[in-house]
Amino acid sequence: MFLALKEMSRAKVRFGLLTVALGMLVFLILFQQSLQNGLLTSFVGAIRNQTAPVLVYSVDGQRVIQGSIITPDLEQLVTTADGLGDVGRIGQGTFSVTNADGELTDTTVLGYEQPLLGAPAELAEGRYPRAAGEAVGASNDADAGFGLGDTITIEPSGYEITIVGLADDVQLNAGATLFVAYDDYVAAVQSANPDAGTPLPNVLAAAPADGVTPEQLVANINGLSDDLDALTRSDAADETPGVAQVQQSFRVIFLLYGLVIPCVTGLFFLIITFQKSGALTLLRAIGAPARRLVTSLLFQAVLIVIAGYAIGLALYTPLSQRRLGGIQLRFETTAVIVWAIILFVLGIGSSLIAARRVLRIDPIEATTGGANR
Amino acid sequence: MKLALRELVRKPGRFVTATVILTLIAVLLMFLGGLLDGLLRLSTGALRAQTADAIVYSDASQSSFLRSRIEPDDRAAIESADGVDEVGGLGVVLLGARVPGNGPRDLANVAVWGYELPKSGIPAPPAPGEAYADELLQADGVELGDELLVGPARTPITVTGWVSDTAYNGSGGLWTDLGTWREVLSQNRPDAVLADGVVQALVVSGPGDPADVVAAVDAANDGTYALTIDDAINEIPGVEEQSATFNQILGVTVVIALVVIALFFALLTVERTALYGVLKAIGARSRTIFGGLVVQATAVTLVASAVAAVLVVVLDLLIPPGSIPLFVSPSRIVLSVVLLLIAAVIGSAFSLRRVLRVDPASALGN
Repeated sequence: MFLALKEMSRAKVRFGLLTVALGMLVFLILFQQSLQNGLLTSFVGAIRNQTAPVLVYSVDGQRVIQGSIITPDLEQLVTTADGLGDVGRIGQGTFSVTNADGELTDTTVLGYEQPLLGAPAELAEGRYPRAAGEAVGASNDADAGFGLGDTITIEPSGYEITIVGLADDVQLNAGATLFVAYDDYVAAVQSANPDAGTPLPNVLAAAPADGVTPEQLVANINGLSDDLDALTRSDAADETPGVAQVQQSFRVIFLLYGLVIPCVTGLFFLIITFQKSGALTLLRAIGAPARRLVTSLLFQAVLIVIAGYAIGLALYTPLSQRRLGGIQLRFETTAVIVWAIILFVLGIGSSLIAARRVLRIDPIEATTGGANR
Repeated sequence: MKLALRELVRKPGRFVTATVILTLIAVLLMFLGGLLDGLLRLSTGALRAQTADAIVYSDASQSSFLRSRIEPDDRAAIESADGVDEVGGLGVVLLGARVPGNGPRDLANVAVWGYELPKSGIPAPPAPGEAYADELLQADGVELGDELLVGPARTPITVTGWVSDTAYNGSGGLWTDLGTWREVLSQNRPDAVLADGVVQALVVSGPGDPADVVAAVDAANDGTYALTIDDAINEIPGVEEQSATFNQILGVTVVIALVVIALFFALLTVERTALYGVLKAIGARSRTIFGGLVVQATAVTLVASAVAAVLVVVLDLLIPPGSIPLFVSPSRIVLSVVLLLIAAVIGSAFSLRRVLRVDPASALGN
């Protein structure tokens, strides 16, 4: 160990550069992990964390709430589905609003008819709306003029909505989101566009009858018409356009970053070992056991990976508390632990190639100069 | 220089691992850049196609077409403003379209545009009920002459021509006259209906530069505001945030490339210290030796970049349409290569100090 530390202290630039490179790679991986999770949560959190077990879109909507329109015929058809317990309307629109800070900003308004069919599943603070003009907001937006008790004004009509409750992770489309009673949603649409007729519901929220699973209800509703597209809550979130694209894109990015780390670490220790092969042979010739030399090399690799990870973590931690536009990042403990294990295994594993080279050193080469060939 | 290049040719194995690592980093750079370009292309194409100087929105619209409404009085005021030559109405609605031959649940995402003035690559509006379709829709099976049934009301629109790079919000554009667009809107989106004469936005051209046109429009009318096309593109939700985030990630990746190159050539320099001592002893200057290192770093980077460019192009061909919004362009590849070359030169400079410190007398000692 002494030899390993001594070598590192004498070659600060080389070991330092490797540590910095690993640190930055770790930082990028963790940051992008937070970015991916934050993006998905702010994109479809309102779908994932609402109460309705089944959402029924029109096929025309292509699984986008705002793009879906449920015509009266389709709505009537859904009520005839086998295994249907209860059904309610959901409407969604994006509005320009003045928030409590006096800023004009975009806000998604989701209107639901029944609390058990479309409201946020849990509240972090406050209560559900009881009267007209009340809303549940997203706690992620609370510091951005959408806090408890704040009044939001829909422009240009001046229609006011007061936030009486906050829920975690219930944003839609990566922006401020308000859950209101369905009638408030209709009023908001008509106030923002005086030419608008009565808006049709965008989706229907459905609950299965007792003894029927959400999956069975989905199959029953989809069997009624090719124009209906029923999905369970989690499928509706996962199959929102863009979600799969985001996940696939990040998968490729993580794979590439994951490949760079063992390559850099492995190359470094291989070259170092090659450069020291003369000295290592001499050490072997004077009686140093191969195990001690390998342990020394692995000790260096462990130290470098730990130091690199610590640097990456130190850069990531303050950034993980920040907000990127409408996306709230958060410290991803699971990702930090999982990536630590993956990178540790990859980093140390790649240095084993160098260790193998050490084990192959023949002490007799010290007398023939073979180590330097 | 010759010596450095000869070493590369005679002992390529020495540089293979570094080239592989740099190739991976170059693939990352080009892939991330292509992803950014793809995302921006899918959301901004329709605005980039505008040849006008400015776009006019209503005050509370937050530059969203879907929330903007320009009344006939606003339009009249803008049309009569000094510094304004030409004004055209513009509107859009996002819907699903049934494509002949596709399954009943296999719809294409379309942005139905209504417009009055020709755009870049988009001729004057077609006849009522017809549309120029974005080439993006070919991936959904759309063909020339197809009658698409748009929205839940199944409004028929016949494709009479192709336009390219006019996507908006991830949807392929269907460019129609204002009347057809208004009909599609009223039949399919009762919540977004606009009265006759009302449009979502105006495109405006004038004799001056775009900033002058914006100023002229803003001075002529209250209740609306104008943006240059570039500003309107930046106002599309997510465009600025995406660009900033991706550019920061790309920046850190370039720094990683720099550190990796620095590390590799630092190791290489240590290995060759004795050799450099001999070279200096026979008269080689530090500048020449360092120049050789830079040449090697540049060559390794160029090879890695070339391999990476091929890999990214292959990746682009293998990715099924609609899965990952990757757009690989020559300009993105060139930009990535330039950034990597800068990183290579700076990275190899880390070894300069060690090269300068090599004592020619050490050749005698060894």
